[in-house]
Amino acid sequence: MIKYLLKRAALTLPTFIALMFVTFTMIRLVPGDPIEVRRGERGISPERLAELRHDMGLDQPVWKQFLDYVWALLHGDFGTSIVSKTPITTEFFTLFPATLELGLCAMLFAIVLGVPAGVIAAAKRGSVYDQSMMGVALVGYSMPIFWWGLILILFMSNTLHLTPVSGRVDLIKYYYHPVTGFLLIDSIISGQKGAFLDVVRHLILPTIVLGTVPLGVVARMTRSSMLEVLEEDYVRTARAKGLSNFRVIGYHALRNALIPVVTVIGLQIGTLLAGTVLTETIFSWPGVGHWLVQSIGRRDYPALQGGIMLIASLVIVVNFLIDMLYGLINPRIRHGR
Amino acid sequence: MKNKKLLTAILLMGTILVSAAAQAKSLVYCSEGSPENFTPAMNTTGTSLDAARPVYNKLVQFTPGTTTVAPALAESFDTSADGKVITFHLRKGVKFHSGVNGFTPTRDLTAEDVIWSFDRQSKPGHPYAKVSGGAYDYFNDMGMPDLLTSIAKGADDLTVVMTLKRPNAPIMANLAMDFATIHSAEYADFLLKKGKPEQFDQIPVGTGSFQFVDYQKDSVIRFKAFDGWAGKPKVDDLIYAITPDATARYAKMKAKECQVMAYPNPADLAAMGKDTDIQLLQQAGLNIGYLAMNAQKPPFDKVEVRQAIAMAIDRDAILKEVYQGAGQKAKNPIPPTMWSYDDATVDYKYDPAKAKEMLAAAGVTTLETDLWWMPVQRPYNPNAKRMAEMMQSDLAKVGINAKLVSYEWGEYRKRLQAGEHQMGLLGWTGDNGDPDNFLAVLLGCGKDGKPNTQNIPKWCDAKFQEDISKAAEVTDQAARIVLYQDAQKIVAAQVPWLNIAHSTVFEPVRKEVTGYKVSPLGAHEFQNVDVTE
Repeated sequence: MIKYLLKRAALTLPTFIALMFVTFTMIRLVPGDPIEVRRGERGISPERLAELRHDMGLDQPVWKQFLDYVWALLHGDFGTSIVSKTPITTEFFTLFPATLELGLCAMLFAIVLGVPAGVIAAAKRGSVYDQSMMGVALVGYSMPIFWWGLILILFMSNTLHLTPVSGRVDLIKYYYHPVTGFLLIDSIISGQKGAFLDVVRHLILPTIVLGTVPLGVVARMTRSSMLEVLEEDYVRTARAKGLSNFRVIGYHALRNALIPVVTVIGLQIGTLLAGTVLTETIFSWPGVGHWLVQSIGRRDYPALQGGIMLIASLVIVVNFLIDMLYGLINPRIRHGR
Repeated sequence: MKNKKLLTAILLMGTILVSAAAQAKSLVYCSEGSPENFTPAMNTTGTSLDAARPVYNKLVQFTPGTTTVAPALAESFDTSADGKVITFHLRKGVKFHSGVNGFTPTRDLTAEDVIWSFDRQSKPGHPYAKVSGGAYDYFNDMGMPDLLTSIAKGADDLTVVMTLKRPNAPIMANLAMDFATIHSAEYADFLLKKGKPEQFDQIPVGTGSFQFVDYQKDSVIRFKAFDGWAGKPKVDDLIYAITPDATARYAKMKAKECQVMAYPNPADLAAMGKDTDIQLLQQAGLNIGYLAMNAQKPPFDKVEVRQAIAMAIDRDAILKEVYQGAGQKAKNPIPPTMWSYDDATVDYKYDPAKAKEMLAAAGVTTLETDLWWMPVQRPYNPNAKRMAEMMQSDLAKVGINAKLVSYEWGEYRKRLQAGEHQMGLLGWTGDNGDPDNFLAVLLGCGKDGKPNTQNIPKWCDAKFQEDISKAAEVTDQAARIVLYQDAQKIVAAQVPWLNIAHSTVFEPVRKEVTGYKVSPLGAHEFQNVDVTE
């Protein structure tokens, strides 16, 4: 198991190097630089442009800028935002809890609804329930996030008045400066009555929007995996032993069926982070997804490079943890067989 | 008995406190983005300037909803006979915000604060000159380094003497702009001693109507009312709810989650107009959308060709189709709400037959040209691509084959400024309501006879230049009007660009909001705003 994990860890190194190169190059291929972008119609004289580019080190040859960037990165320096002049790590870790909180809720939403839906659909294969459930999952999987978010806001918030439109908390009723950045926790720490429930209310719509695509994937994957497992000999044996349907499905079949589902959940982390870009924009959610979009618009090179590297590190770490989780679910991996 | 009285007193006090808390009025403004920092001198975007504006004041200010310059921190000023020395008399007893970032001011506003605020932008050796990047774009753009000789303390602590290299009529309008914000020199020293000067630009302390409370990036900015020199604002708490998506801002406003919103989506305006919960405020924008013709490239160097093109394009159709009625056809480069506007200008009428004749007379029977359109929506041009397509169709009718060209926005501006185009769409929103800010910035040329960076038609005219240069130095308003009107006549005759439209600016506020004024300069200000109900 340890050897397996070490091998996995070694494989991440080329991924990091490739990422460094790609993020650095791609953003520079986009026309316009940070100075020109912030000037608007006002324009800038060539002399002043040259002066500001020099101040920011943008007049250096690109290869030198890249080497400087790699050198700084090796020293743990992710750079400073060109726009806010704040260290990238400070900006990232200020915003990241909001993204993580939303991402976890969305994933929880997808798993809690998706796994049982898939299991029931497999158990009742071919039934109306199965067909309608998989139809809904397919729709969910194909849902354009931006459209879905706006439809939910218009229906749930503007028509039914059930949920707030956007943001993380009612700004008039509650005010507390974030301690952990996770408002579900901070609202409790603040001791303000009703604050926690208010945070939960604000989480409902973004969670549904961000969790819809993974929900579709998890439900479909659980179903197909369960169908495969239910055909196995040991399931037949379990049934022959006279075990209840619940025990056969819930204990013998589900545990084995979950292995590919866990893999898919791991892969969905990337999808989820990509989804936050749109979800955070629609719901004014102050997370890293929206921050990255703004950084592209402003050509904030260090923010983009640092932000993407930090997110990539996170995805790699999560996938690493998922690999370890296999060991817990599948003894063959744990025992190196 | 004694205890009973005490209990009654406590209960009464409690009731008063509770009712005071219950009566606290909050105004939530759905803003469109996060500020870069809170120092206006370092910013050029409306988003950042709006975020800092509640905290600060300037020596002079624009009266809300107008471009009229009124006294602010300076209660009066005198100008010397030669126009080169301006003496500002500061208000007495102007307090700075207290308790922000652990800072407690020990003194009121003095000349030292004014001098500090300008020195930071003008003196490279200033201790704060390079803090937070040290790019003072507006100070440079408004020509201050070339204009300002010195700024010094006058006869007493409340007198500031500004000496200029030459008389400059637009100076007061320039000083009402955000870059001329006055900071606390004492707060700057306090942070320098703490070893945290960068906090100066992140945690602002000023003299404005609202005191900074908190900023959470991409989420919220909080201010509380400050009972300063201008009096206490009508709301107790001012909250900027950062909401980047225009549709979400509108949804929040409908759901009473905010009372004022920035930059509505043009597609939502019709619905907003019908919504009984919303007041859709509007004002003629201080802007111009134009089609520049590069006077340095043939055949656009011939005035007859430029005039013919002005007659070949059906601007009424563009107003109807592109602006959808939310704009006014432009006949001058400055908007009609600006003083010195020349209403006597005779506009070019749509006359393709005459245009064709004029082109033939100028020796142009067929013409291949480019026509650049902006890839973004701007206040002065809601749909440049559609506009360009309509122009292309009109030009084809007079034998001009226009090829449509566009680039990424930053690249687009850079290439236009470099003069790579033959014909190109662009526009401008004014900074300060002075005609100089349009005519000199957009059509002016340097002493070397070369067009300014933002002179997109690349057109220079000696008489026009003489008029606007003189108008910038004459302090008599009537004399300036005569000069600017003459300059407009030259533009009308020479047609360096085709004036297209001045668009209308819309701002939706909830019905409970009173006292909100739409700024022609695009600012969002809340000093006099109240929330009823």
